[in-house]
Amino acid sequence: MRNTKGLSGAAQDAYFRRVLKAQGSLSEEAREQLVRSLKRDIAQLRLRREPLPEAVLPASPSASETHHPQVPTPNAQAPIPGPAASFDPYSPNIVVLLRTQGRAAALAALAGVDSEHELRLLAREQRLSVAPDLSSPQELRAAIVNAAERRIANRVAAAS
Amino acid sequence: MTRFLAVSNRKGGVGKSTISVMLAHAAAAWGRQRVLLMDLDTQCNASLMLLGGEGWDKAARAGRTIADYFYDRFDKVAGDESTYVINNVGDVAHPRTARGRVSLLPGSQRLEDIQGELYLKQSKKDLHADAVALLVRGRMKRLMRHFGMDCDLVILDCPPGLSFAAQAALDMADHVVVPFRPDFVSQFALDRVALLIERVENAEQLASIPFPERRYACLPNCLTGAGHERLLIDQIALDHPLLTTRLPVLDGIARAFDWDESKKSMEQKYAEALPHLRKLHTEVFTGAQMRAQSA
Repeated sequence: MRNTKGLSGAAQDAYFRRVLKAQGSLSEEAREQLVRSLKRDIAQLRLRREPLPEAVLPASPSASETHHPQVPTPNAQAPIPGPAASFDPYSPNIVVLLRTQGRAAALAALAGVDSEHELRLLAREQRLSVAPDLSSPQELRAAIVNAAERRIANRVAAAS
Repeated sequence: MTRFLAVSNRKGGVGKSTISVMLAHAAAAWGRQRVLLMDLDTQCNASLMLLGGEGWDKAARAGRTIADYFYDRFDKVAGDESTYVINNVGDVAHPRTARGRVSLLPGSQRLEDIQGELYLKQSKKDLHADAVALLVRGRMKRLMRHFGMDCDLVILDCPPGLSFAAQAALDMADHVVVPFRPDFVSQFALDRVALLIERVENAEQLASIPFPERRYACLPNCLTGAGHERLLIDQIALDHPLLTTRLPVLDGIARAFDWDESKKSMEQKYAEALPHLRKLHTEVFTGAQMRAQSA
Protein backbone atom coordinates (compact mmCIF):
# COMPACT_ATOMS: atom_id res chain seq x y z
CA MET A 1 0.00 0.00 0.00
CA ARG A 2 1.32 3.40 -0.90
CA ASN A 3 2.09 5.59 2.08
CA THR A 4 0.83 8.77 0.43
CA LYS A 5 -2.34 9.68 -1.39
CA GLY A 6 -3.24 12.44 -3.82
CA LEU A 7 -5.92 15.02 -3.26
CA SER A 8 -7.32 17.44 -5.78
CA GLY A 9 -10.52 19.37 -6.51
CA ALA A 10 -13.22 19.30 -3.86
CA ALA A 11 -11.28 16.87 -1.65
CA GLN A 12 -8.30 19.19 -1.68
CA ASP A 13 -10.50 22.18 -0.80
CA ALA A 14 -12.05 20.25 2.05
CA TYR A 15 -8.58 19.38 3.34
CA PHE A 16 -7.50 23.04 3.25
CA ARG A 17 -10.61 24.06 5.15
CA ARG A 18 -10.11 21.38 7.78
CA VAL A 19 -6.51 22.31 8.42
CA LEU A 20 -7.17 26.03 8.53
CA LYS A 21 -10.12 25.57 10.82
CA ALA A 22 -7.72 24.22 13.43
CA GLN A 23 -6.03 27.64 13.47
CA GLY A 24 -8.29 29.27 16.01
CA SER A 25 -6.75 32.70 15.47
CA LEU A 26 -7.97 32.89 11.87
CA SER A 27 -11.29 34.51 11.13
CA GLU A 28 -13.68 32.73 8.76
CA GLU A 29 -13.03 35.39 6.16
CA ALA A 30 -9.24 34.95 6.45
CA ARG A 31 -9.65 31.18 6.18
CA GLU A 32 -11.71 31.48 3.03
CA GLN A 33 -9.21 33.89 1.54
CA LEU A 34 -6.40 31.43 2.20
CA VAL A 35 -8.43 28.57 0.75
CA ARG A 36 -9.03 30.58 -2.41
CA SER A 37 -5.36 31.43 -2.66
CA LEU A 38 -4.28 27.82 -2.10
CA LYS A 39 -6.81 26.55 -4.62
CA ARG A 40 -5.42 28.92 -7.20
CA ASP A 41 -1.80 27.91 -6.65
CA ILE A 42 -1.96 24.20 -5.89
CA ALA A 43 -3.08 21.65 -8.44
CA GLN A 44 -2.63 18.52 -6.35
CA LEU A 45 -1.58 17.56 -2.83
CA ARG A 46 0.09 14.40 -1.66
CA LEU A 47 -0.66 13.52 1.95
CA ARG A 48 1.03 10.99 4.18
CA ARG A 49 -1.35 8.28 5.26
CA GLU A 50 0.33 8.16 8.69
CA PRO A 51 1.50 11.36 10.39
CA LEU A 52 5.25 11.61 11.06
CA PRO A 53 6.27 10.95 14.65
CA GLU A 54 6.62 14.14 16.71
CA ALA A 55 10.37 13.60 17.02
CA VAL A 56 11.05 14.15 13.34
CA LEU A 57 8.85 17.23 13.04
CA PRO A 58 10.35 20.68 13.25
CA ALA A 59 9.44 22.59 16.37
CA SER A 60 6.47 24.96 15.95
CA PRO A 61 7.54 28.56 15.67
CA SER A 62 6.66 30.67 18.67
CA ALA A 63 4.28 33.58 18.33
CA SER A 64 7.18 36.02 18.28
CA GLU A 65 8.82 34.23 15.38
CA THR A 66 5.94 34.59 13.02
CA HIS A 67 3.70 37.51 12.19
CA HIS A 68 1.45 35.63 9.84
CA PRO A 69 -0.74 32.63 10.37
CA GLN A 70 1.02 29.47 9.31
CA VAL A 71 -0.46 28.15 6.11
CA PRO A 72 0.16 24.56 5.11
CA THR A 73 1.76 24.02 1.73
CA PRO A 74 2.19 20.76 -0.13
CA ASN A 75 5.79 20.48 0.96
CA ALA A 76 5.40 21.64 4.53
CA GLN A 77 6.06 18.93 7.06
CA ALA A 78 3.00 19.77 9.10
CA PRO A 79 1.28 16.95 10.95
CA ILE A 80 -2.13 15.88 9.78
CA PRO A 81 -4.31 17.16 12.58
CA GLY A 82 -5.88 14.49 14.76
CA PRO A 83 -9.67 14.11 14.84
CA ALA A 84 -10.20 15.79 18.18
CA ALA A 85 -8.21 18.88 17.27
CA SER A 86 -9.33 19.72 13.79
CA PHE A 87 -11.98 17.49 12.38
CA ASP A 88 -15.20 19.35 11.59
CA PRO A 89 -17.98 16.81 11.05
CA TYR A 90 -20.15 19.52 9.47
CA SER A 91 -17.75 20.17 6.62
CA PRO A 92 -18.09 19.43 3.80
CA ASN A 93 -21.87 19.66 3.78
CA ILE A 94 -22.54 16.47 1.82
CA VAL A 95 -26.15 17.24 0.91
CA VAL A 96 -25.22 20.67 -0.43
CA LEU A 97 -22.23 19.30 -2.33
CA LEU A 98 -24.27 16.49 -3.81
CA ARG A 99 -26.97 18.88 -4.98
CA THR A 100 -24.68 21.55 -6.34
CA GLN A 101 -21.79 19.53 -7.75
CA GLY A 102 -22.97 15.94 -8.00
CA ARG A 103 -22.06 12.53 -6.62
CA ALA A 104 -18.49 12.45 -7.87
CA ALA A 105 -17.68 15.74 -6.16
CA ALA A 106 -19.24 14.57 -2.90
CA LEU A 107 -17.20 11.37 -2.98
CA ALA A 108 -14.09 13.34 -3.86
CA ALA A 109 -14.62 15.67 -0.92
CA LEU A 110 -15.01 12.71 1.40
CA ALA A 111 -11.75 11.29 0.11
CA GLY A 112 -10.10 13.88 2.35
CA VAL A 113 -11.51 12.06 5.39
CA ASP A 114 -9.58 8.88 6.06
CA SER A 115 -10.52 7.34 9.33
CA GLU A 116 -13.57 5.24 9.99
CA HIS A 117 -14.11 7.19 13.19
CA GLU A 118 -14.22 10.54 11.40
CA LEU A 119 -16.44 9.27 8.61
CA ARG A 120 -18.90 7.84 11.13
CA LEU A 121 -18.82 11.07 13.10
CA LEU A 122 -19.52 13.09 9.95
CA ALA A 123 -22.37 10.75 9.04
CA ARG A 124 -23.87 10.99 12.51
CA GLU A 125 -23.67 14.75 12.76
CA GLN A 126 -25.02 15.27 9.25
CA ARG A 127 -27.85 12.83 10.01
CA LEU A 128 -26.79 10.51 7.21
CA SER A 129 -27.53 6.97 8.21
CA VAL A 130 -24.86 4.34 7.43
CA ALA A 131 -24.91 0.63 8.23
CA PRO A 132 -22.97 -0.33 11.38
CA ASP A 133 -21.17 -3.25 9.71
CA LEU A 134 -19.29 -1.12 7.19
CA SER A 135 -15.67 -0.53 8.07
CA SER A 136 -13.64 0.37 5.01
CA PRO A 137 -13.44 4.10 4.37
CA GLN A 138 -14.42 3.52 0.77
CA GLU A 139 -17.63 1.72 1.73
CA LEU A 140 -18.44 4.35 4.33
CA ARG A 141 -17.98 7.20 1.86
CA ALA A 142 -20.30 5.55 -0.65
CA ALA A 143 -22.84 4.84 2.11
CA ILE A 144 -22.74 8.48 3.24
CA VAL A 145 -23.38 9.76 -0.26
CA ASN A 146 -26.16 7.18 -0.73
CA ALA A 147 -27.76 8.36 2.50
CA ALA A 148 -27.55 11.97 1.33
CA GLU A 149 -29.26 10.97 -1.92
CA ARG A 150 -32.05 9.29 0.03
CA ARG A 151 -32.42 12.34 2.18
CA ILE A 152 -32.78 14.63 -0.83
CA ALA A 153 -35.31 12.24 -2.38
CA ASN A 154 -37.30 12.23 0.85
CA ARG A 155 -37.50 15.97 0.91
CA VAL A 156 -38.54 16.23 -2.73
CA ALA A 157 -41.24 13.60 -2.16
CA ALA A 158 -42.64 15.45 0.85
CA ALA A 159 -42.84 18.73 -1.02
CA SER A 160 -44.79 17.41 -4.00
CA MET B 1 -49.97 52.85 0.09
CA THR B 2 -50.55 50.32 2.84
CA ARG B 3 -48.27 47.31 2.80
CA PHE B 4 -49.35 43.90 4.05
CA LEU B 5 -46.65 41.77 5.65
CA ALA B 6 -47.50 38.23 6.73
CA VAL B 7 -45.43 36.33 9.27
CA SER B 8 -46.19 32.72 8.57
CA ASN B 9 -45.11 29.11 8.81
CA ARG B 10 -47.37 26.09 8.98
CA LYS B 11 -45.13 24.71 11.69
CA GLY B 12 -45.84 25.89 15.22
CA GLY B 13 -43.38 27.20 17.79
CA VAL B 14 -41.06 28.92 15.33
CA GLY B 15 -41.54 32.44 16.71
CA LYS B 16 -44.23 33.89 14.45
CA SER B 17 -45.99 35.94 17.12
CA THR B 18 -42.79 37.13 18.77
CA ILE B 19 -41.38 38.28 15.44
CA SER B 20 -44.68 39.90 14.44
CA VAL B 21 -44.70 41.96 17.63
CA MET B 22 -41.01 42.82 17.36
CA LEU B 23 -41.48 44.01 13.78
CA ALA B 24 -44.56 46.02 14.77
CA HIS B 25 -42.62 47.79 17.53
CA ALA B 26 -39.63 48.40 15.27
CA ALA B 27 -41.70 49.76 12.36
CA ALA B 28 -43.54 52.14 14.69
CA ALA B 29 -40.49 53.29 16.67
CA TRP B 30 -37.84 53.46 13.96
CA GLY B 31 -39.88 53.63 10.77
CA ARG B 32 -42.48 56.06 12.16
CA GLN B 33 -45.15 53.83 10.70
CA ARG B 34 -48.76 53.49 11.75
CA VAL B 35 -48.82 49.73 12.24
CA LEU B 36 -51.79 47.43 12.65
CA LEU B 37 -51.08 43.94 13.90
CA MET B 38 -53.81 41.51 12.93
CA ASP B 39 -53.78 38.47 15.21
CA LEU B 40 -55.03 35.52 13.17
CA ASP B 41 -53.77 32.90 15.60
CA THR B 42 -56.32 31.34 17.93
CA GLN B 43 -53.62 31.03 20.60
CA CYS B 44 -53.79 34.87 20.66
CA ASN B 45 -50.17 35.15 21.79
CA ALA B 46 -49.53 38.44 19.99
CA SER B 47 -52.67 39.90 21.58
CA LEU B 48 -51.53 38.77 25.02
CA MET B 49 -48.09 40.30 24.42
CA LEU B 50 -49.64 43.62 23.43
CA LEU B 51 -52.66 43.82 25.76
CA GLY B 52 -51.92 41.48 28.65
CA GLY B 53 -54.43 38.86 29.79
CA GLU B 54 -56.95 41.27 31.26
CA GLY B 55 -56.79 43.64 28.31
CA TRP B 56 -57.37 40.81 25.87
CA ASP B 57 -60.24 39.41 27.93
CA LYS B 58 -61.86 42.83 28.03
CA ALA B 59 -61.56 43.14 24.24
CA ALA B 60 -63.01 39.65 23.74
CA ARG B 61 -65.97 40.38 26.03
CA ALA B 62 -66.63 43.61 24.18
CA GLY B 63 -66.75 41.75 20.86
CA ARG B 64 -63.64 43.50 19.57
CA THR B 65 -61.74 40.59 18.04
CA ILE B 66 -61.06 39.35 14.55
CA ALA B 67 -63.58 36.56 15.03
CA ASP B 68 -66.29 39.09 15.89
CA TYR B 69 -65.36 41.17 12.89
CA PHE B 70 -65.64 38.26 10.46
CA TYR B 71 -68.85 37.05 12.03
CA ASP B 72 -70.46 40.48 11.92
CA ARG B 73 -69.40 41.15 8.36
CA PHE B 74 -70.50 37.78 7.04
CA ASP B 75 -73.84 38.59 8.69
CA LYS B 76 -73.71 42.01 7.05
CA VAL B 77 -73.79 43.83 10.37
CA ALA B 78 -72.87 47.41 9.61
CA GLY B 79 -70.08 49.05 11.54
CA ASP B 80 -66.77 50.71 11.15
CA GLU B 81 -63.60 48.59 11.09
CA SER B 82 -62.09 50.92 13.64
CA THR B 83 -64.52 49.73 16.31
CA TYR B 84 -62.68 46.41 16.38
CA VAL B 85 -59.20 47.93 16.57
CA ILE B 86 -57.42 48.88 19.79
CA ASN B 87 -54.91 51.69 19.35
CA ASN B 88 -51.61 52.39 21.10
CA VAL B 89 -51.10 48.89 22.42
CA GLY B 90 -47.89 47.35 23.75
CA ASP B 91 -45.44 48.56 26.32
CA VAL B 92 -43.09 50.55 24.09
CA ALA B 93 -43.42 54.30 24.56
CA HIS B 94 -43.76 56.31 21.37
CA PRO B 95 -43.43 60.10 21.66
CA ARG B 96 -46.81 61.83 21.46
CA THR B 97 -45.60 63.92 18.56
CA ALA B 98 -44.30 60.95 16.58
CA ARG B 99 -46.44 59.41 13.88
CA GLY B 100 -45.54 55.83 14.76
CA ARG B 101 -47.97 53.73 16.72
CA VAL B 102 -49.00 50.11 17.12
CA SER B 103 -52.66 49.11 16.91
CA LEU B 104 -54.13 45.66 17.28
CA LEU B 105 -57.02 43.69 15.89
CA PRO B 106 -57.13 41.17 18.74
CA GLY B 107 -57.15 37.45 18.15
CA SER B 108 -59.87 35.11 19.31
CA GLN B 109 -60.02 31.49 20.37
CA ARG B 110 -63.33 31.31 18.51
CA LEU B 111 -61.81 32.06 15.13
CA GLU B 112 -61.49 28.39 14.14
CA ASP B 113 -65.12 27.64 15.04
CA ILE B 114 -66.28 30.71 13.24
CA GLN B 115 -64.43 29.71 10.10
CA GLY B 116 -66.31 26.42 10.19
CA GLU B 117 -69.61 28.23 10.59
CA LEU B 118 -68.84 30.61 7.77
CA TYR B 119 -68.02 27.65 5.56
CA LEU B 120 -71.34 26.00 6.38
CA LYS B 121 -73.26 29.20 5.72
CA GLN B 122 -71.68 29.57 2.31
CA SER B 123 -72.13 25.89 1.49
CA LYS B 124 -75.89 26.29 1.44
CA LYS B 125 -75.39 27.56 -2.03
CA ASP B 126 -75.14 24.83 -4.62
CA LEU B 127 -71.37 24.80 -4.84
CA HIS B 128 -68.56 22.28 -4.82
CA ALA B 129 -66.57 22.12 -1.55
CA ASP B 130 -63.45 23.64 -3.13
CA ALA B 131 -65.48 26.49 -4.54
CA VAL B 132 -67.01 27.18 -1.13
CA ALA B 133 -63.57 27.22 0.45
CA LEU B 134 -62.40 29.65 -2.21
CA LEU B 135 -65.41 31.82 -1.56
CA VAL B 136 -64.80 31.99 2.19
CA ARG B 137 -61.11 32.67 1.66
CA GLY B 138 -61.81 35.39 -0.89
CA ARG B 139 -64.36 37.04 1.38
CA MET B 140 -61.94 36.99 4.32
CA LYS B 141 -59.24 38.46 2.15
CA ARG B 142 -61.45 41.34 1.06
CA LEU B 143 -62.56 41.98 4.62
CA MET B 144 -58.98 42.02 5.87
CA ARG B 145 -58.03 44.49 3.18
CA HIS B 146 -60.45 47.04 4.67
CA PHE B 147 -58.05 47.51 7.56
CA GLY B 148 -55.45 49.02 5.29
CA MET B 149 -57.28 52.35 5.24
CA ASP B 150 -55.89 53.91 8.37
CA CYS B 151 -52.37 52.58 8.60
CA ASP B 152 -49.10 52.31 6.69
CA LEU B 153 -48.34 48.71 7.48
CA VAL B 154 -50.49 45.72 8.37
CA ILE B 155 -48.68 42.80 9.97
CA LEU B 156 -50.59 39.53 9.70
CA ASP B 157 -49.59 37.15 12.48
CA CYS B 158 -50.62 33.86 10.93
CA PRO B 159 -51.57 30.72 12.81
CA PRO B 160 -49.76 27.43 12.36
CA GLY B 161 -51.63 25.06 10.11
CA LEU B 162 -53.71 26.15 7.20
CA SER B 163 -56.99 27.77 8.13
CA PHE B 164 -59.01 29.90 5.72
CA ALA B 165 -57.73 32.98 7.53
CA ALA B 166 -54.11 31.87 7.10
CA GLN B 167 -54.62 31.19 3.41
CA ALA B 168 -56.35 34.52 2.93
CA ALA B 169 -53.43 36.25 4.66
CA LEU B 170 -50.90 34.51 2.43
CA ASP B 171 -52.93 35.41 -0.64
CA MET B 172 -53.10 39.09 0.16
CA ALA B 173 -49.64 39.71 1.64
CA ASP B 174 -47.21 41.80 -0.38
CA HIS B 175 -44.37 40.07 1.40
CA VAL B 176 -44.07 37.11 3.77
CA VAL B 177 -41.47 36.52 6.47
CA VAL B 178 -41.18 32.83 7.27
CA PRO B 179 -39.42 32.23 10.58
CA PHE B 180 -38.02 28.76 11.15
CA ARG B 181 -35.93 26.82 13.61
CA PRO B 182 -33.13 25.02 11.82
CA ASP B 183 -34.13 21.45 12.48
CA PHE B 184 -34.83 18.56 10.17
CA VAL B 185 -38.62 18.97 10.07
CA SER B 186 -38.36 22.68 9.28
CA GLN B 187 -37.09 21.93 5.80
CA PHE B 188 -40.34 20.19 4.95
CA ALA B 189 -42.40 22.98 6.50
CA LEU B 190 -40.56 25.62 4.47
CA ASP B 191 -40.92 23.66 1.25
CA ARG B 192 -44.66 23.42 1.77
CA VAL B 193 -45.35 26.97 2.83
CA ALA B 194 -43.28 28.22 -0.12
CA LEU B 195 -45.57 26.37 -2.54
CA LEU B 196 -48.59 28.09 -1.01
CA ILE B 197 -47.05 31.53 -1.01
CA GLU B 198 -45.89 31.31 -4.61
CA ARG B 199 -49.10 29.53 -5.66
CA VAL B 200 -47.31 26.64 -7.35
CA GLU B 201 -47.85 22.91 -7.06
CA ASN B 202 -44.43 21.33 -6.81
CA ALA B 203 -40.74 21.86 -6.19
CA GLU B 204 -39.89 22.12 -9.89
CA GLN B 205 -42.33 24.96 -10.41
CA LEU B 206 -41.02 26.69 -7.32
CA ALA B 207 -37.42 26.34 -8.50
CA SER B 208 -38.30 28.10 -11.72
CA ILE B 209 -39.08 31.31 -9.79
CA PRO B 210 -35.87 33.29 -9.19
CA PHE B 211 -35.26 34.24 -5.55
CA PRO B 212 -35.58 38.01 -6.12
CA GLU B 213 -39.04 37.48 -7.60
CA ARG B 214 -40.38 35.50 -4.65
CA ARG B 215 -42.74 37.10 -2.17
CA TYR B 216 -41.18 35.45 0.86
CA ALA B 217 -37.91 35.28 2.73
CA CYS B 218 -37.03 32.81 5.47
CA LEU B 219 -35.70 33.90 8.84
CA PRO B 220 -33.55 31.51 10.91
CA ASN B 221 -34.67 31.85 14.51
CA CYS B 222 -33.69 30.49 17.93
CA LEU B 223 -30.14 29.67 16.88
CA THR B 224 -27.80 28.13 19.43
CA GLY B 225 -24.65 28.01 17.30
CA ALA B 226 -24.70 24.22 16.94
CA GLY B 227 -22.99 22.82 13.85
CA HIS B 228 -26.08 21.08 12.51
CA GLU B 229 -27.84 24.47 12.30
CA ARG B 230 -25.22 25.66 9.82
CA LEU B 231 -25.71 22.49 7.77
CA LEU B 232 -29.46 22.92 7.57
CA ILE B 233 -29.34 26.62 6.83
CA ASP B 234 -26.93 25.96 3.95
CA GLN B 235 -29.23 23.25 2.64
CA ILE B 236 -32.33 25.45 2.95
CA ALA B 237 -30.52 28.30 1.18
CA LEU B 238 -30.35 26.18 -1.98
CA ASP B 239 -34.13 26.32 -2.34
CA HIS B 240 -35.36 29.37 -0.48
CA PRO B 241 -34.37 33.03 -0.13
CA LEU B 242 -32.97 33.63 3.35
CA LEU B 243 -32.68 36.86 5.28
CA THR B 244 -29.12 37.52 6.42
CA THR B 245 -30.43 38.29 9.91
CA ARG B 246 -30.01 35.36 12.27
CA LEU B 247 -31.90 35.47 15.55
CA PRO B 248 -30.13 33.62 18.35
CA VAL B 249 -31.78 32.25 21.47
CA LEU B 250 -31.66 35.28 23.74
CA ASP B 251 -33.02 36.01 27.17
CA GLY B 252 -33.62 39.54 25.93
CA ILE B 253 -36.23 38.29 23.49
CA ALA B 254 -37.83 35.85 25.92
CA ARG B 255 -38.07 38.45 28.69
CA ALA B 256 -39.33 41.18 26.39
CA PHE B 257 -42.73 39.55 26.26
CA ASP B 258 -43.45 39.14 29.94
CA TRP B 259 -46.49 41.41 30.17
CA ASP B 260 -45.70 44.69 31.86
CA GLU B 261 -47.96 47.72 31.92
CA SER B 262 -45.21 50.30 32.28
CA LYS B 263 -44.11 51.90 29.04
CA LYS B 264 -40.44 51.70 28.15
CA SER B 265 -38.00 52.53 25.39
CA MET B 266 -36.99 50.04 22.71
CA GLU B 267 -33.57 49.84 24.35
CA GLN B 268 -35.09 48.95 27.71
CA LYS B 269 -37.50 46.45 26.25
CA TYR B 270 -35.22 44.54 23.95
CA ALA B 271 -31.87 44.91 25.76
CA GLU B 272 -29.24 42.67 24.15
CA ALA B 273 -31.68 41.66 21.43
CA LEU B 274 -31.81 45.22 20.11
CA PRO B 275 -28.97 44.94 17.50
CA HIS B 276 -30.61 41.84 16.05
CA LEU B 277 -33.96 43.61 15.86
CA ARG B 278 -32.38 46.64 14.21
CA LYS B 279 -30.85 44.43 11.56
CA LEU B 280 -34.11 42.58 11.01
CA HIS B 281 -36.05 45.84 10.75
CA THR B 282 -33.62 47.25 8.20
CA GLU B 283 -33.59 44.09 6.17
CA VAL B 284 -37.34 43.52 6.13
CA PHE B 285 -38.50 47.09 5.61
CA THR B 286 -35.75 48.60 3.55
CA GLY B 287 -34.46 45.43 1.90
CA ALA B 288 -34.51 44.96 -1.83
CA GLN B 289 -37.38 42.48 -1.74
CA MET B 290 -39.67 44.72 0.22
CA ARG B 291 -38.80 47.69 -1.96
CA ALA B 292 -39.56 45.66 -5.06
CA GLN B 293 -42.91 44.62 -3.63
CA SER B 294 -44.00 48.07 -2.66
CA ALA B 295 -42.80 49.71 -5.87
